Amino acid sequence: MFLQQVLNGITQGGTYALVALGYTLIFGVLEIINMAHGEIFMIGAMTGYFFVTKLGWGLVPGLAAGMVGAALAGAVLEFTALRALRRKGVTNLAPLISTIGLSLVLQNTMVRAIGGEPRSFRVPLGNGMLHFGPLMITTAQAVVLLISVVLMLALQWTLSKTKLGRAVRAVSENPETASLLGVNVSGVVLATVMLASGLGGAAGVLVGISYVSVSAVMGLSYGLKGLAVIILGGLGNVKGAVAGGLLIGILEALTVAYGGPTGAAYKDAVAFGFLFLILVLRPQGLFGQSSAATRRS
Amino acid sequence: MAELLNNYYLQIFTFIGINALLSLSVYLVLSTGQLTLGNAGFLSLGAFTTALLATKAGWPWWINIPLGGLAAAVVAVGLGFATLRLRGIYLAIATLGFTETIRVLWVNLPYTGGSLGIRNIPNINKLFQRFIQTQFDEAPLGLSFSQLANLTVMLGVWLVVTLTLLFIIRQGKSRVGRAYTAIRTDEVAAGAMGVDVVHYKVLAFAQGAFLAGVAGGLTAHTTFAIAPADFAFNKAVEMLTYVVVGGSGVAFGPVLGATALIFMSESLRDLRILGERMSDYRLIIYGVLMMVIMVIRPQGILTPGLFKFRGPAVPSDEQAGVRKERRVRRKGVPS
Repeated sequence: MFLQQVLNGITQGGTYALVALGYTLIFGVLEIINMAHGEIFMIGAMTGYFFVTKLGWGLVPGLAAGMVGAALAGAVLEFTALRALRRKGVTNLAPLISTIGLSLVLQNTMVRAIGGEPRSFRVPLGNGMLHFGPLMITTAQAVVLLISVVLMLALQWTLSKTKLGRAVRAVSENPETASLLGVNVSGVVLATVMLASGLGGAAGVLVGISYVSVSAVMGLSYGLKGLAVIILGGLGNVKGAVAGGLLIGILEALTVAYGGPTGAAYKDAVAFGFLFLILVLRPQGLFGQSSAATRRS
Repeated sequence: MAELLNNYYLQIFTFIGINALLSLSVYLVLSTGQLTLGNAGFLSLGAFTTALLATKAGWPWWINIPLGGLAAAVVAVGLGFATLRLRGIYLAIATLGFTETIRVLWVNLPYTGGSLGIRNIPNINKLFQRFIQTQFDEAPLGLSFSQLANLTVMLGVWLVVTLTLLFIIRQGKSRVGRAYTAIRTDEVAAGAMGVDVVHYKVLAFAQGAFLAGVAGGLTAHTTFAIAPADFAFNKAVEMLTYVVVGGSGVAFGPVLGATALIFMSESLRDLRILGERMSDYRLIIYGVLMMVIMVIRPQGILTPGLFKFRGPAVPSDEQAGVRKERRVRRKGVPS
C-alpha cells in the first residue's frame, strides 16, 4: 500500500519536475522567474489536445506538436516580455510584472477563444493495468512516467554533451565572458526560453493525458506547484528540480492516502507548507548552494 | 452632482481606496527591500477575523476592523522572524506559500464556511444609511440616503488612505525611515553601521500586515460576503502590480498605480469598439498594458526624481541641503 502510494506520487511528481525544469532553465540563464510558464504549459496542453482529438494524430506526434506549440509561445515570451527589459538599470521586479502581464494575455485569449470549461482529452491507450508484484500502474500512468523520464534524460544529454548545452552553461555562468568568447548570447537565450517552454508544453500534454482533461485555466495551479518545486530544489539547479518534483508528488500522494478524512482537502497546501518549512530551516533550498538564497537579487 | 455621485461610482472609489491601502502595505515592506506576496494572506486574515467577530460575536465594526489589522500584525511578527534569512525571489515564494496555506486553512477549518466563505456580514453602508435616516427626514444636498451613506464610507476609506500616506511620508524622514532605506540599499552595511536589521525588517513586515489586515476588515464590512479564493495568488499579484506600475520608489506611486489600473479596468467595462464589448477583453488589455509600462518605464510611472526639475527656482533650505549632500557624495568623500 505504502509503495503503491509512492509509485502514484512518482508519476505525478514526474510532471511537476518537467514544469519545474522549465522555470529552472530560464532562471539559470536569465535570473528571471518566468511567471508566464504556467500559461505556456497550458498552451502546450491545448495544442496537443487539438492535434490529437481534432486531427486524430497519435500520442507521440501529438506530444511533439504540443512541445512545438509551447516553444513558439516561448519565442513570443522572449520577444515581447523579456528582450526589451534586458538592459542595465532595470530591477528584477520589471520582468516579473511583464511576464505576469503576458500570462494574463495568454490565459484570457485562450478563454475568449475556446471558453474556460474543461475538455475531455482521450488518448487511445487502453484501460489496461500493468502489475509488478503487488504494485500496479495504469497504462496511461506508465506512459506518462516513461515519457517524463525520457525527456529528462534528453535534457540532461543536451545540456552536458551538445554544443548548444555548452553554450547555455557558459551563458548561465557569465554572459559577458561567454559573449567575449564568441557565444551568440541572445541566440542562446532564445534557444533556452524555447527549450524550457517546450518542456513545459510536454508536461501540459502529459498532465492532460493523465487527468483525461485540459482547460484554458489549468496553467495557474501547475505554475504555482512548479514554483514551489524549483525553490525547494534550489533555483537554477536541474537535478534539484527533478528531485523536488518527485518529492512533492510523493508527499501529496501520501497526504491524500494517510491524512485521514481531511487529507485530500489539504493536498494543495502540502507543497507550499513543506516548502515554507524547508526555507525556514534551509534558506537555500534542499539542493541549492549555500550562497543562492542569501545572494542579493 | 447627484448623478455624478451615483452609488456605482462611489463603490468603485471605495474599492480603489481599499486597494490603495493594500498597495501601500506592499510598498512598506518593499521599502526595506523585502519582496512579499504574503500580504494577500494578511488581507485574508484581517477579513476573516473581522467577519468572524462581526457574525459570531456580534461586535461592532469599529472594534472589528482594527482587531483584524492587529491579528494580521501579530502573525506577521512570527512570519517575519521565520523568513528573516530569505531574500528576493525566495522570500516572495515563501510568503506566497503563507498566502496559499491561509487560503487552504479557511477552506477546511470549521466556522469559516468552506470555499464559500462567510456571508451576511453587517454592511457599514447599510448601517450608516439607517443612522442617517434616523437623523434627517429628507436626505440633505439633494442626494438619496444610500448615496449619502456610500459617500460617507468612501470618504472614510480615503481618509484612512490619506492618514496612512502622511504617516508613511513622515516615517520616511524619521529614524525608522532612514533605517529602512539603509537596509534596502545594503543590509550588511546597515548592520555594520549599527542599524538593528532584525528589528526594522520585522517592524516593516508587521506594519505592512497591519495595513493589509485593516484593508481586509474594510473589505469584509463593505461587502456582504467574503470567500477564501478572493484573497489568493491573484490578489497577491494584483497588489504587487499596483506598486510596480505606479512606482515603487515613492509613496504616491502605489496609490497612483491602484487608482489608474482599477479606473482603467472599470472604464473598459462599458466601452464598445467595433461592436465588441471591451469588458470581454479587459484582462487581455490589462496584461498588455502591464507589459508596455514595464518596457517604457521599468521603475514605474512615478520615480523619485520625476518632479525635481520643476521645483521652485530658489531651493528651500532642505532641498539645498539634499543637493549639497549629493554633490559631496559624487566627489567620493566617504560618508
